[in-house]
Amino acid sequence: MRFVSFRPATCVLATTALLLIATAPSQAQTRAETLRYVTGASVNTLDPNIPGSTRESFALSMSTYDRLVAFGRKQLNGKWVFDLDTITGELAESYEVSPDGLKLTFRLRKDAKFQDGSPVTAEDVKWSLDRCVTAPILGKAQLLTGSLTSADQFQVIDPLTIEVTLPKPDKLALPNLATVYPMIINSKVAKEHATADDPWATAWLKEHAAGSGAYVVESFKPGEQVILKRDESWNRGSANKPAFFKRVIVQSVPEPATRANLVERGDADLVLDLQASDVQSLEGKGKLKVISTPQYNAITFVSMNNQIPPFDNVNVRRAIAYALPYEDMFKAALFGRGSPLFGASWPDGKPANGIYPFQQPVKLDLDKAREYLKAAGLPEGFSTTFSFNVGQASTAEPMAALVKESLGKIGIKVDIQKLPDAQMSTQINEKKLPFYTEGIVAWLPSTDYFYRNFYTGNQRWNYSSINNPDLAAIAQEARFEPDKAKYEEAGRKLNAMHFDLMPQIMLWQPNQDAVMAPSIEGYTYEFHRQVDYRDVSRK
Amino acid sequence: MTTGLGATMVRAGRRLLSSLPALFGVLVFTFLLMRVLPGDPAVFFASGPNAGKEEIELIRKQMGLDKSVPEQLVFHLSDIGHGNLGRSMMTGQPVLKDLRERLPASLELTFTALLIALIAAVPLGVIAALRPGSVVDHGVRLFCALGVCVPTFVSGLLLIYVFYYLLGLAPDPTGRIDVFTSLPLQRTGFLSIDFLLAGDFEGWWAACKQLILPAVSMALFVIAPLARITRASMLVSLGSDFVRTARSVGLSWRKVVVTYALRNAILPVITIAGIVFSTMLGANVLVEKVFSWPGVASYALDALLSSDYAPVQGFVLLMASLFVLVNLMVDICYGIADPRVSIE
Repeated sequence: MRFVSFRPATCVLATTALLLIATAPSQAQTRAETLRYVTGASVNTLDPNIPGSTRESFALSMSTYDRLVAFGRKQLNGKWVFDLDTITGELAESYEVSPDGLKLTFRLRKDAKFQDGSPVTAEDVKWSLDRCVTAPILGKAQLLTGSLTSADQFQVIDPLTIEVTLPKPDKLALPNLATVYPMIINSKVAKEHATADDPWATAWLKEHAAGSGAYVVESFKPGEQVILKRDESWNRGSANKPAFFKRVIVQSVPEPATRANLVERGDADLVLDLQASDVQSLEGKGKLKVISTPQYNAITFVSMNNQIPPFDNVNVRRAIAYALPYEDMFKAALFGRGSPLFGASWPDGKPANGIYPFQQPVKLDLDKAREYLKAAGLPEGFSTTFSFNVGQASTAEPMAALVKESLGKIGIKVDIQKLPDAQMSTQINEKKLPFYTEGIVAWLPSTDYFYRNFYTGNQRWNYSSINNPDLAAIAQEARFEPDKAKYEEAGRKLNAMHFDLMPQIMLWQPNQDAVMAPSIEGYTYEFHRQVDYRDVSRK
Repeated sequence: MTTGLGATMVRAGRRLLSSLPALFGVLVFTFLLMRVLPGDPAVFFASGPNAGKEEIELIRKQMGLDKSVPEQLVFHLSDIGHGNLGRSMMTGQPVLKDLRERLPASLELTFTALLIALIAAVPLGVIAALRPGSVVDHGVRLFCALGVCVPTFVSGLLLIYVFYYLLGLAPDPTGRIDVFTSLPLQRTGFLSIDFLLAGDFEGWWAACKQLILPAVSMALFVIAPLARITRASMLVSLGSDFVRTARSVGLSWRKVVVTYALRNAILPVITIAGIVFSTMLGANVLVEKVFSWPGVASYALDALLSSDYAPVQGFVLLMASLFVLVNLMVDICYGIADPRVSIE
């Protein structure tokens, strides 16, 4: 299906062709000022708040709309990643957090204008935030995680000042305002298109952008492509000047091999979702720039439903944890492109720190696994199914085969089940799958957030269906813990419990492989795991 | 001739009417089939990092899934009566709009592929039939076997590899037109025609270049059935009495083969071409995926994988209607090729 193995022989030819294209004088000027980004996914709405919106839509809205604040960026092992701890003003010129942490005051930029030329006022900010917490849209559930729940919390002080009050000093309130959903909308324009049934103009905003962002939507073909044009007056970037590229083309190309060809030929500038094998071969040729960042806010699991026998027995879960061929799985599924969450050594038997996700001291040890099975009263093993979804088949399929083989050695008979994506999410939601692999992502990765959202409650994201009141209580308490040392202590406790209870097995954090033309600079791994078009420029 | 054509029209009209119950059946069947498929679309689409029960309920309500199945069916049928095929969760657009934008792309590709296939297959079949058992015949057989053996996405990827990646002759395989070319005023939806109407020959050439590779990879796959059926029916008609008579009275080779033998042999080819066309339209999903062609088949596949009901239902209805239309066309072509057919 792909032609990786043919390529080295034809490298010379391809390079010559590339040179010919590069030296073509016509169009060169505009082409250099255009970013052509290709992706397997597609943009389906201009308002990321619409239920069902895709990740590409999230990324697009970052460039078409501004928020009050934005995340800074930092270097992690030499690669730029978003920085949760540095929050800078975007539409806000400055902000202030009251000493008790209950009041956030934002001063808006005087020169900020919407794309129709009208000034951004505190009224617009209030309307947009009100919309986020009241309208039946995605922002509601997100802002809830930052104690932002009601329109009463947002107050206009004067045309350029807005105040946000919190019921509790919530650490995540400010970072939440930098996420995708609380974007600032031109309320005058939006209100013109609001109807009695739809007071927040959700239908209109789905097809139209009315923001103050760096890029104006020039054409939008859902499922095919979006073309953006630079807003010349936008100055919210780091150096107070407009975004680099005059034009951005976001194009859907479903076939991964075609995407690899496009970027290798120099017809596309940037692509994120290539197959690991293609990335490896492109990296090997050294013609393109490949930036691999471990997705440090995402985790791939092997999950076990703690309520379904035999996985309700902690010793069965431990047995599985010692029977997985981690190294082989890591190589087969990801070609080793990621950071492993297995194979740690805890000399004193305690977690090294209170940060989640963390490396667990588990490795392939079949004798230990057999002992745990015996302790569970199942020395002969048992039969179960291992499920994964079609959308992840390229990584999950080889992994599933290895799981089956290895568990077979300790008497556990595994049937591999490949489910269509919608069916898989339904069964997870209904808690019907005993044993499967899935991934999670958190926009605001803090230890308590992970534990609260992924290890408590009878809800979809609690993959392991763990119901441990102690764990839930510690995580809940940590949320509002102002003291850093105490927070760290709570984190250590939670991590120790995770290893002890082994509700599910953390495998790794896959890399985000951004493959780009050598001239592209400034790529940053963002919390939404897509490209922020404002970050990148051409040398 | 006029009466012959008239009779054909009457036949066609009768066909059309008799296909209405079948269309209705397809409608209800698809609807029920989508409902019994496991997988709840609401859960799938509520997959933002914080989407919980509330969002799932919201989407369920938006998609009308909070009502009972019979109720949903009644709403669905009345919607279709009003020309509303529902809204796709995937693209966020009305299904009718999506299909209207994507159908011309699929049709243009399929027509071109079929044309290429016919132009290649009919002469190949005729040549093979004229010299059965010869090297030429075996050569054609081998070529056909290869065409069928290689799946369309493999031939598509190979063509891309050679003509785009290695030689750089073909434009990048991303859709119907180069992203940097501006589109002509939409009249027919067929880019090659719209560009001509707009008098933009550069654009027309650009659109044709994009079309060639996908059309050829689709054509390769269907040349085999067309060539084989041409050969078989040519053999029958070449061996028949009237051809022997024609030969014996010393008619020219051309007159014998083209006018008498081929015209009589073409009926089954038309039938097969009709069937091939309908299959191609629905089954060209792999080619559409490989060439990022914004057609209806890849649209329906994506919708099916994410249990997005409305587009799948719309697609099946569209395909069923097209099938009816294609059969009608085939009927009419019969009448033209062989006037005896319209005599019932």
